[in-house]
Amino acid sequence: MINNKKINKRDIGNLLNEWSQEFTVFVPLRESGVAMLSKWDGKDTGFMDWHRNTVQPIKANFFPPMEEMFSFQKGKEGYHIELPSSDEHKQLIFGIRPCDARALIILDMTFKDLYEDPYYLPKRNNMVLIGLGCTNPYDSCFCTSLGINPGESADVDLMLTDMGDQFLIEEITEVGKELIAKASRVEEATEADEAEAREVKEASYNKVTRKIDTEGIKEKLLSCFEDQDFWEKVSTKCISCGICTFLCPTCYCFDINDELVRRQGTRFRSWDSCAFPVYTKMPMENPRLEKWRRVRQKVCHKFEFYPMNFDIIACVGCGRCIRQCLVNWDITQTLNSLPTRV
Amino acid sequence: MRITDINQRERFLANGNVYLPHIVKIEKVVDETYDTRTFHFNFKDEKLKKEFTFQSGQFALCSIFGAGEAPFAISSSPTRRGHLECTVRQVGKLTNALHRLGIGAEIGFRGPYGNGFPMGFLQGKNLAFVAGGIGLSPLRSLIWNVIDNRDNYEKIDIIYGARSPADLCFKYDLDTWSKDKGINMVTTVDKGDESWTGRVGFVPQVLEQVAPSPSNAVAIVCGPPIMIRFTFPVLEKLGFPPEQMITTLEKRMKCGIGKCGRCNIGNIYVCRDGPVFTYAQIKSLVSSEY
Repeated sequence: MINNKKINKRDIGNLLNEWSQEFTVFVPLRESGVAMLSKWDGKDTGFMDWHRNTVQPIKANFFPPMEEMFSFQKGKEGYHIELPSSDEHKQLIFGIRPCDARALIILDMTFKDLYEDPYYLPKRNNMVLIGLGCTNPYDSCFCTSLGINPGESADVDLMLTDMGDQFLIEEITEVGKELIAKASRVEEATEADEAEAREVKEASYNKVTRKIDTEGIKEKLLSCFEDQDFWEKVSTKCISCGICTFLCPTCYCFDINDELVRRQGTRFRSWDSCAFPVYTKMPMENPRLEKWRRVRQKVCHKFEFYPMNFDIIACVGCGRCIRQCLVNWDITQTLNSLPTRV
Repeated sequence: MRITDINQRERFLANGNVYLPHIVKIEKVVDETYDTRTFHFNFKDEKLKKEFTFQSGQFALCSIFGAGEAPFAISSSPTRRGHLECTVRQVGKLTNALHRLGIGAEIGFRGPYGNGFPMGFLQGKNLAFVAGGIGLSPLRSLIWNVIDNRDNYEKIDIIYGARSPADLCFKYDLDTWSKDKGINMVTTVDKGDESWTGRVGFVPQVLEQVAPSPSNAVAIVCGPPIMIRFTFPVLEKLGFPPEQMITTLEKRMKCGIGKCGRCNIGNIYVCRDGPVFTYAQIKSLVSSEY
């Protein structure tokens, strides 16, 4: 039984325009030679020929690099605190990759845990995700090792498969179904379309050749946790710049600070990174002053601590930390060279 | 692994937003030492003034608007309502800004956070308090709590030390406790001065000399990390099992609720799963970065 849909690529601009009536639409526009998630300008569909994932992950749309938490002002009656006006605009993210969609599920766990985060969750609950399967993964991608299929996702509302002139559309959620029911120029997919989409997905799966062995990785990391020689060796070339954490779709660490201009103050939170010594610095001491401890923290947080707390590895194999690293530090190399205790 | 759970966590949120501080007003400032002050403060909101409760060992995030926010143990006892106290040593930008504030100044307050001391577990036990420097501040909340419910506890030893006589905090309390017949109060300094007639010696050594019995006892330790690290072995030597040794840990914190990431030791977050841990729990942690 076939109930998938399809749309011709030349009608995508039209569809995005329809969606723009209801949503703020974001698409992966091509800017300065790289894909960047940007607000849909109503015209440019150049990104249709741009098959690669965005440099920045989607997290910034829900968890901005810098975000006002509240403002404060001193008046006659003392301090007055005011929340920023909330942006009620519903976001539609077009072209999110299966790895980045899974990353949001992982981020949700932290932001929902214990106390619900009042900044992240409202934005996160107020958006629609249109997934796009990868047809051209980078050689730094290793999503398949983390249970992710680059061609498929259940973490989005609609899933698109690129079949040359057209997209196959799978309706994943009720929200996705409603979107398609309202959309014009969407057709029923034929059996031949289905077969073609299956081939595209399979080919894309096979293009991800970089692998890590996640079998028992939590236990392996636990057993070499105190192996300082190993961690010193793998962290030698790291320059603690933090780019791997800023561009990581599952990294969420943040800092909270105040800014005061005349008598008008703002408390804001901003992305922070475990790569920086100051991240854990206390007046009298610093538990992670040495670089190897910080690299160990980064790796173990994703592959050991997060699984301990949430039963899921906090890595989706998007490969950004490998691609964007200035000194070619490679997390897959580290994970594949863990010393095993006999 | 979740070491503790936090009760009543939604109760005192400002506007339902966990990051928003309540405004509190400084009512009194007490000089403890040359660099440490205790701030007495109270909520501006009348309802909170009446209803706010916490547990000894819990902490709060205090805002000095424009300078930022930092975690401080609540050093007053929940048994003594009317106001709250935090004891702050001047060590950086934020604490310098706080030290410049006086009576009537407004600061932000959110909390209480963390697990607090296990009051049920402490009941009916002999208690040995071991503290160093400003580390007395969270223990002071518990000590007054215990004194105010004296019948619930057995013997009380307090061993408190500081680098020098000038570094001793809460001298007025030390004085009261040493006059209390139900308390064995031992004060020591690492190095005395001309006028010091009391004991001289490091806290772990003095603890060994005082040698509280481990039988039906709990040792509650707080101080600089170096003191804590040397105190645990002494307690073990005295026969205290790790389950009967309790401490409260300190880490850099920003959110206070286990999200911002920095206060982790392995998979636990000191702000959310602590700050109070037994030595048995600490020994079972993945990492020794405590």
